[in-house]
Amino acid sequence: MTTELLDQRNRRNRRNRRKEPRVKRAERKNRGVTERQRPLWLLTPGGLLMVLVILVPLALALWISLTDLDQYTLRRWIQAPFIGLDNYVESFDAGLLHSIWISVSFALIATAATVPIGIAAAVVTQNKYRGRGLVRAVFLIPYVLPSFVVATVWRTMLQPDGIVNSVLGSEGSLWLSGSRSYWTLILVEIWAAWPFIYLMALAALQSVDHEVHEASAVDGVTWWPKLTHVILPYLRGPVLLACLLATLNHINNFTLPFVLFGAPAPDNVNVMPMLVYVTSFQGLRFGLSAAMAVVSLIIILIPLFVYLRAVRLDVHEEGGRK
Amino acid sequence: MRNQKIIALAGVTVLAAALAACGGGDDGGSGGDGKTLDVLIGANTQYPEEFQAWQKSISDKFKAQTGATVKFEQFASANDELTKIQTSVVAGSGPDVYAVGTTMTPTAYSTGAFVKMGDSEWQKIGGKDKFNPATLGISGPDENNLVGIPWVSRPFVMAYNTDLLKAAGIDKPATTWDELRDQAKKMTHGDQYGLAVAYKDNFDPWKFVWGMSVQAGNPLVDGKTAKLQDPTVQKAYETYFGWLTTDKIVDPAAVGWTNPQALASFAKGKTGYFALTTSTATNSLEQGAVKGKWAFALLPTVPPGATSRPANGVEAASILSGDNLLVADYSKNKDLAFQYVKLVTDPDVQLDYYQKFGNLPANASALQTLSSDQRLGPVTEAAKKSVATPFTGAWSDIQLALTNVAVQSLPDLAKGSLSAQQIDSRIATAQKSAQSSLDRAK
Repeated sequence: MTTELLDQRNRRNRRNRRKEPRVKRAERKNRGVTERQRPLWLLTPGGLLMVLVILVPLALALWISLTDLDQYTLRRWIQAPFIGLDNYVESFDAGLLHSIWISVSFALIATAATVPIGIAAAVVTQNKYRGRGLVRAVFLIPYVLPSFVVATVWRTMLQPDGIVNSVLGSEGSLWLSGSRSYWTLILVEIWAAWPFIYLMALAALQSVDHEVHEASAVDGVTWWPKLTHVILPYLRGPVLLACLLATLNHINNFTLPFVLFGAPAPDNVNVMPMLVYVTSFQGLRFGLSAAMAVVSLIIILIPLFVYLRAVRLDVHEEGGRK
Repeated sequence: MRNQKIIALAGVTVLAAALAACGGGDDGGSGGDGKTLDVLIGANTQYPEEFQAWQKSISDKFKAQTGATVKFEQFASANDELTKIQTSVVAGSGPDVYAVGTTMTPTAYSTGAFVKMGDSEWQKIGGKDKFNPATLGISGPDENNLVGIPWVSRPFVMAYNTDLLKAAGIDKPATTWDELRDQAKKMTHGDQYGLAVAYKDNFDPWKFVWGMSVQAGNPLVDGKTAKLQDPTVQKAYETYFGWLTTDKIVDPAAVGWTNPQALASFAKGKTGYFALTTSTATNSLEQGAVKGKWAFALLPTVPPGATSRPANGVEAASILSGDNLLVADYSKNKDLAFQYVKLVTDPDVQLDYYQKFGNLPANASALQTLSSDQRLGPVTEAAKKSVATPFTGAWSDIQLALTNVAVQSLPDLAKGSLSAQQIDSRIATAQKSAQSSLDRAK
């Protein structure tokens, strides 16, 4: 039995000690249904979909990564020659490590920058004031805009003779090529992605018990100690989860770099999804691109797994450890 | 409990049936009443409503002729098209007829999924002779293996500002690249520039480099060997980048321009030449400040640094550009497909298409009737002097590698200096990628 269930049972037992005989009977019945006769077959439709939508394509990708599938063998793709790990060897020659480095560093910087912005915005819109609804709505604009629109608008603004250069007085500066393009990608990603952290932080703030605020007020705590010692600890779990999801979203973001920079992209922003896309759909090397995708998946999974084991996310105070 | 199991089983069965139904099926049949012909065609973002009307009129005509309906499927970009070809090839079902860009025809050919045109097939569409011979140059690797049926041409030309040329005392547009540079220099002063070039375009740069190299006698691909690391290619890049860095005849903002942006800049009337455009730009030019003050001209056909073409140089005025029609090998409506191809390559339909969208006819007699149009003269000439890019499945990679040299050079270009060594090392990278792609070509 999980600790969560134990905790719940103990609490219930304490509350209902007088009614113990009835509760015990009910518990025994409940436990029987939930554990021994769980209708697991009800999972079949979902399980079937999982197999079809996730496992089969994954297995196919693994198979394709071991074959020499390209434009010449595409028509009889099942008979594409098996070449073992050659694609994996070649993918490291084709700039995969560089792309992984760009992707991971870009994602981490973007996440690190969005967290303080998101939390600050959540704190600002926590207490009631006139116009709070409007501010909350405005904060969500970057999040609800499609990535394509965001990238198109920024691309227009960042032209050498665009509005950004005229405001900064740096006519002719290139934002979409060369080394600066890396920082452009991060900047636009931050602009588009911070409301996600904001939403998660706001949700966590809303779940802080009213009593906590009252207790702080009774103890005469000023706003800063209250924020750092009382409120922020409540946010830890949800915000860590948000960080994890946001980082994965950044790493997997294809639309933004594709629309901002086009293909072929400058080397400085040749992120993993772009590399896989160009190899697949412009170079038509499906085997090679599948190998790249598999390597990327493994490389992301390792730290993700370690991280998940280490932090043991507490999403909700009562949610227990998982 | 048993009931629940039965219901769940029923649910699973319905789900499985629904998923199986997603597999879809073919319309089947070999032409005539009640059949549907599926045609994949590029979306026209410039004239979407007119394009819808054109599709309707073709569909009506086709119905009257054959009793079958045409269903048009549109793709937004070359990449979408390629994806559609890939999925259809794998599935063995999809559109019956594809309108494919000329430079993508070799890639489509390499999949082996399209009908090779024999005598009987040519006969069905009205004979091979009805086409402008130049347009057949990129239909297949050789005479006996043609898959692409020419549909429309979009040869590349220059546009120039007649007033600015006249003011600079230039009586006729340049015919060599050196002359173009010198004329552009004369017109560059104040906020006026001699040349508009789209350096950030993802398709333009390689066309200049290919053109200049071919004119100097290097077709870039020799059998299975890539010839990118060659003095002709080096010179081509130096010339192309030099317009901005050393000659200073191009607006520095051009490092961020795509082709439509360069066109918009030229249309403002402050630029002498627009280096690479097609007749589809006519309407945009007529709506700009340059209205009534512009004309088309052939791109120079003498390589940079020379006053005449070397003996092995080719008079390439443009890449062979436009669209080919390909009939899918898996199609169950091949006869209908050829009837459709015949319909849209007949002179009246071709001319109507030109009037509406500015694409030149691939049909020889239709093209001939346009050569009397004075403004269009250079464009029809360019159509005849178009030269096919190498017909190899590796071409899309080579094109990408050539463009990548320009993409990675943009920051240096913006700084205003680009050394020969920098160009050299980027060409070396391109050569490596082109050669590896050619090594794989089958």
